[in-house]
Amino acid sequence: MLLLGGLLSAKANDLPEVGSYCIWKNTEFEYFCDTCGCGGNGGSMGFGTGLNNNFVGLRYIGQKYRSRDGIFDNSPWINENFNTVQAWGKFPVGKRVLINALLPYHFHNRTFADNTEQTITGVGDATVLAYYNVLRQTPDSIISIKPEHVFQIGVGVKLPTGSFDAANIEGSVNPSFQLGTGSWDYILAANYGVTHRNWGLSALLNYTIKTENSKNYLFGNQWNVAVNTYKTFYVSPSVSLTPQFGLGAEFFEENREFNLTVPDTRGDVYFARFGLETNYNRYALGISSMIPISQNLNEGKVEVKNRVSLYLNINI
Amino acid sequence: MASAFIIKYQKMKFIYKILAITLVLTVFVSCSSDDDTATELTGENSVTIEFDNSVGSDDLLLATSSYTNSQNETLTITRLNYIVSNFRLTNDQGETFTYEKDDSYFVTSEETGNTEVVLENIPAGTYVSITFGVGVDQEKYLQGAEGQGDFLTVAEETNMMWSWQAGYKFLNFEGTFTSETVTETTDFKVHMGSHGSSLDNYKEVTLSLGTDALVSDEMSPIVHLVADANAILDGAHKLSLSEQSVIMVSEEKSPLVALNTASMFTVDHVHNGSEHSH
Repeated sequence: MLLLGGLLSAKANDLPEVGSYCIWKNTEFEYFCDTCGCGGNGGSMGFGTGLNNNFVGLRYIGQKYRSRDGIFDNSPWINENFNTVQAWGKFPVGKRVLINALLPYHFHNRTFADNTEQTITGVGDATVLAYYNVLRQTPDSIISIKPEHVFQIGVGVKLPTGSFDAANIEGSVNPSFQLGTGSWDYILAANYGVTHRNWGLSALLNYTIKTENSKNYLFGNQWNVAVNTYKTFYVSPSVSLTPQFGLGAEFFEENREFNLTVPDTRGDVYFARFGLETNYNRYALGISSMIPISQNLNEGKVEVKNRVSLYLNINI
Repeated sequence: MASAFIIKYQKMKFIYKILAITLVLTVFVSCSSDDDTATELTGENSVTIEFDNSVGSDDLLLATSSYTNSQNETLTITRLNYIVSNFRLTNDQGETFTYEKDDSYFVTSEETGNTEVVLENIPAGTYVSITFGVGVDQEKYLQGAEGQGDFLTVAEETNMMWSWQAGYKFLNFEGTFTSETVTETTDFKVHMGSHGSSLDNYKEVTLSLGTDALVSDEMSPIVHLVADANAILDGAHKLSLSEQSVIMVSEEKSPLVALNTASMFTVDHVHNGSEHSH
């Protein structure tokens, strides 16, 4: 089923968000969605963007999956569209702590072989993540000619604000067709970034520990790994373009129900990611796309086709 | 004095910090560990057994698709009915619950879409395996026509009887085929049964469920079985339709069909819970 929702996570990435005069300083990080299908699990929670920027923004994430409606090789494929609009932001607390917060709103749909359509709409799982800057930052206004490193570690929690419908885990279709996991989930995260002149490279690793929800369903824990590179080009002093390219991977452990393993729910997927962010003064407009390179989700019964994301952030 | 107080105060602040971190970690760890307080299963509920017919790893589609078996014969299946009976469930303690015998005879039929067997009032428990028969056992048959209850009517209506004297057809498998030597599309019929009481082709099957099936007042599991129709002629025993396209009362071939049929079942998965959409 799955795979679960986790997959989508990737989409969550975002491009570096940029301050008007310290563009190259931002590494972007994304924080992904959890579980395959993300739909299932609260959608991609991207928390990323420039490590040192504070912003509020809106992001749209569209993900396309197809999953097998049945257990046989000739069972029909059904297409699933996961759509998410999320409000998100990053705020400093003190000198070294950053709080990321994200609230998604999902509108997912899928059409079965008999042409009946199923739609689920509503608030997804809210996520709050606190990062600690392990390395001291040089002030933004000082333009350094040496490579600058950023390293952050974080912990977070995903709240069960999205509804979980047990009916959607029955049958053989993607169990991640959900607004939320229905569980309190915990996130451990680490981000690393290095910037030098107009170039940047960022890497992130995070692990989501999921807990059993009230329907006795437990989505498998999930790893997200990603590396992104980017370069910023200045069109004018107030306008810049930052194309980026990256690779990401997501790994899902098996789901459990009533503490019994649910077969065919583990999975892995590898993505290539392309993005472009445009910055104008305090505004950042970005688009990115993730294309799967290799995947094995739910024993091949779920396939992720692509993810796109579009966002507008305002630095604060 | 004041400075000592400040130092003490800072120390305490430090201790509070440590305490706070410890508390957060504790919550984190305790929330993420599985709470395995295995809740006691009580009461009773139904267990549904779905017989999902396939041909190899493809869903069986009657009359609309054909497939070629290992004997190079190409079959189009138009009927697949069989009798399943004498259900028993074994729990994780090794105890076996036997379903009431008089209620334990069912016909599953691909053409009517009636492929689910619902066993009612199964006592709560964690079930790990299922046993059932394919066909009707001699004990039941020897109870005579009046001993069969409603099942006699069910069997007649689903083409699962020859006549009372000849007995039940345990399996009614029909369609058309072609092969290297039979190039014209030709009907095949495989009707397997016990042939009165002279030849006993009743067989029992025991399957491990893979995932435990949990039964309680709140939980009614579905055991999703796959029955691979290809095994009937192309299982451990190879039966060529080119050689014999109608297999009915055959002392030589019927027992092989019975063995093949009993081996066609596998457990695909078990759904636990109460909210089933399928």
